[in-house]
Amino acid sequence: MKKYNYILLTLFVCLTACRKLDIPPKNIIQDPDVFSTPAGIQAYMARLYSELPMEDFRYSPQRGLNFFWIISPTPATTGEALSRDQTGSMQENLGGWNNDLWSGSYTTIRDCDYFIQTLPAYASNFSTAQVNAWLGEAYFVRGMTYFALVKRIGGVPIVNKTLNYTVGTSTDELKIPRSSEQAVWDQVASDFDFAIANLPAANTDQADGSRANKYVAAAFESRAMLYAGTIAKYNTTTLFDGQKNQLCGIPASAANGYFLKAYTAAKMLDGVYSLYLKSWSATDKTAQYQNFVNLFSDASSSESIFVREYQYPNSVHGYDAYNVPRQLIGPNGYSSEVNPTLDFVEMFDGIPKNSNGTIQNLDASGHYALFTNTMDLFANAEPRLRATVILPGDAFKGENIEIRRGIYTGPSAGGISPLLPAGSRSQYPLTNLVVSATSTQTAYTLPGGTLMNPAGLSGIFTGDQTCAISGFSVRKWLNPNLATSQVLENNETQTWIEMRYAEVLLNRAEAAFELNSAGQSGATNYTQDAFTIINEIRSRAGATLLTSAGAMTIDTVRIERRKELAFENKTYWDLKRWRTFSKEQNGTIYRILMPFYSAQAGKYFFDARTDERNDVYTYDPRWYYEQIPQGAISKSPNLVQNPGY
Amino acid sequence: MKKLFYYTAFCLAVIAGNSCSKIDNYPAPSDTINGSTIDEGTGATVQTEIGGGGTRVKLLETSYSANPTPEYFQSMQDGTFNDDKIFAATYKVSVEGPFVPLVTTDNTGTVTADSSQTIKLTSKATLNFKVQPFLRVEWVGKPVFNADSTVTVQVKITRGTSNPNYQLDITDINLYVSNTQYDGNNNYDPRYSKLVSYSGSTGTALLGQTITITTMGGAMPAQDVYFRVGARINAGLDEYNYNAPMSAKYP
Repeated sequence: MKKYNYILLTLFVCLTACRKLDIPPKNIIQDPDVFSTPAGIQAYMARLYSELPMEDFRYSPQRGLNFFWIISPTPATTGEALSRDQTGSMQENLGGWNNDLWSGSYTTIRDCDYFIQTLPAYASNFSTAQVNAWLGEAYFVRGMTYFALVKRIGGVPIVNKTLNYTVGTSTDELKIPRSSEQAVWDQVASDFDFAIANLPAANTDQADGSRANKYVAAAFESRAMLYAGTIAKYNTTTLFDGQKNQLCGIPASAANGYFLKAYTAAKMLDGVYSLYLKSWSATDKTAQYQNFVNLFSDASSSESIFVREYQYPNSVHGYDAYNVPRQLIGPNGYSSEVNPTLDFVEMFDGIPKNSNGTIQNLDASGHYALFTNTMDLFANAEPRLRATVILPGDAFKGENIEIRRGIYTGPSAGGISPLLPAGSRSQYPLTNLVVSATSTQTAYTLPGGTLMNPAGLSGIFTGDQTCAISGFSVRKWLNPNLATSQVLENNETQTWIEMRYAEVLLNRAEAAFELNSAGQSGATNYTQDAFTIINEIRSRAGATLLTSAGAMTIDTVRIERRKELAFENKTYWDLKRWRTFSKEQNGTIYRILMPFYSAQAGKYFFDARTDERNDVYTYDPRWYYEQIPQGAISKSPNLVQNPGY
Repeated sequence: MKKLFYYTAFCLAVIAGNSCSKIDNYPAPSDTINGSTIDEGTGATVQTEIGGGGTRVKLLETSYSANPTPEYFQSMQDGTFNDDKIFAATYKVSVEGPFVPLVTTDNTGTVTADSSQTIKLTSKATLNFKVQPFLRVEWVGKPVFNADSTVTVQVKITRGTSNPNYQLDITDINLYVSNTQYDGNNNYDPRYSKLVSYSGSTGTALLGQTITITTMGGAMPAQDVYFRVGARINAGLDEYNYNAPMSAKYP
């Protein structure tokens, strides 16, 4: 009997004990853990937003998105600036990026798709408003990611549901071919449209502009649709696959539709955001300058629409470390990576110019004009220029930024003739010229007996280029309150403003101008609207106002955009979508402005010339469409490579 | 213990001695495709630039797949090409460069013309492609040193095609100066080369005329240099048509 009891007991144990082995692993986070609480959703969102492709403080074409080391800065590829580490035009070095754009973007898209597919099953945990808002954010992030792909590559595979691979089955259905470029732009538009329809006016989780709301989506839709419109209008590269999908290029007939979408989306923000005018005064140029400076650091700015925030030590950048003028160099030893070109500076108002638009540094007799201080040439410069560029001799962090190429010891009586013939690309002749090779200088004794270093504290040094090689240094974004001991790599935390209202206005003006020149008319007078906007921007900048709408050309709108959004990593994409990169950088050597001190005259003069390094910028038109990474094609041979690679 | 050691050593020796007896390698590709890109009108090869920006040969290995990933190799500067590291297979071969494309599509993606050549490659194939260059650049005389040691050259530019799609305005006519014969848009001395961009039809108006270009930047350095003139229209990948580089001895 006992034996039977044991058998029964054994059977009982065996039959009941293992009933629940198939339970979810406790050490892996499951969908219910993430999708049941707002905290779980926030964690998911944190990942989506950190993956959001933006050309911010941590971007350069050379090293890609979200990389700390920015020594080939974007402005040095666009003609806005020169940098010692960038010696010519370049396309984005996609293959060498630390974060692979291709697989990284599709990871983000999958994260969005998964969120969009999964959240509705858990909707009962939340209010409808919460669910809609979060879905809107996922669509927004997906739209941004497709945007980042299509603006680089043209048509890409559209993957709007998660793909699941079962081991041992065919991978053919994972090899999704590229869609047409137009289809991808339409996908971007539809994702943003969904976000606009579902997001609230202010993000209820974070309303500081670091997460999307309805208007953020609308602002980016205006940027994206303007991009698509200009591609349709100006692109000349085409590529079709075997099924006649147009992978590169959009039919020109689609241009006006995109421009109209850009215009309408931009107009949605009317009255919601405004140009930053907190410390602006119509009559005070210093106030206008300070206002434009503050715009980039005031967290309560009514102009900031979408921002990326940084926090020490989790998420940091090194903008100041790389870009402070040489005399304010931080302990890491970096400085002056972005040196604005004279070509860029000459776009602005308030500096004396020749009839061809170049800076007037000579007097009527063809000799150098002489100045007591280097800033005298820029006495009436547009306030926005001063807030964007450190001009030679201007004040920053309580110091005058001293930029001087050398001391001219030759005779000054009767005027000083140009050191080189006009247009010469030769080196300066060293007769009558005292220069300094490095920042360790030997002072020169001036005729009065006072000592003066040949070069300024911030350059220019002929032997090393850690100085203002163009005669200018960048001002925008620099934090004037950061102690020099803190000017370190991976230590800066100022906020990146990815989208500000000025851009939305300029998107609207450009779309309006393009619509008008295509003979379109709308409820508003497009030309008049563009005219009003340009003057709003110019007025805030302290620039000369346009006198009539009729005098505007597309270049008026474009140059305004380049001045307003300079050093914000926007010009790179503008030159690309206008397809003017290869026209502007066509054997181009950018110009610089070299201040000299005349020992005999006791005054300064300026020499305008081409880059002393003779660095030639030639943009290859095939770069308008980037090369699809070879690894992606190897994995999915259905992907057709872009032309010319 | 010692026994174990010897056993192990013996086994290792047997393994080491036997394992690599079969080298599992295929022979390296050893077949050759060579030939040239020839101007249909003149019979001369079409000059191009070296590096990634000039004429290249496109191979589609159709015996491997109906829709293969293309392979490319670069043409030489004088318009001839030679690649002796190609696998034997069936290829559809074409060339891409500053001339009317051999494969053209209309604005809906329909292939309207395809003069690719299909070859079954065994050991060697010589292919000559007759093309219509966008522009022909021809020397008129030789480069001449001026009294101030600058150099003046003369060229004549004509269209190489009557295809109505490629009667576009000339956008650039550039005189390139280099101290090697590999002279072109990707390799020139910016101090002396004279680059001129044209807008509208001003460049086109120079077609058929003798164009005189002088180096810039003052006296040339006392060394032998090569001169070459490139011109382009805004078509395809905006590549340049060139004349053959010509040297001039410093007087």
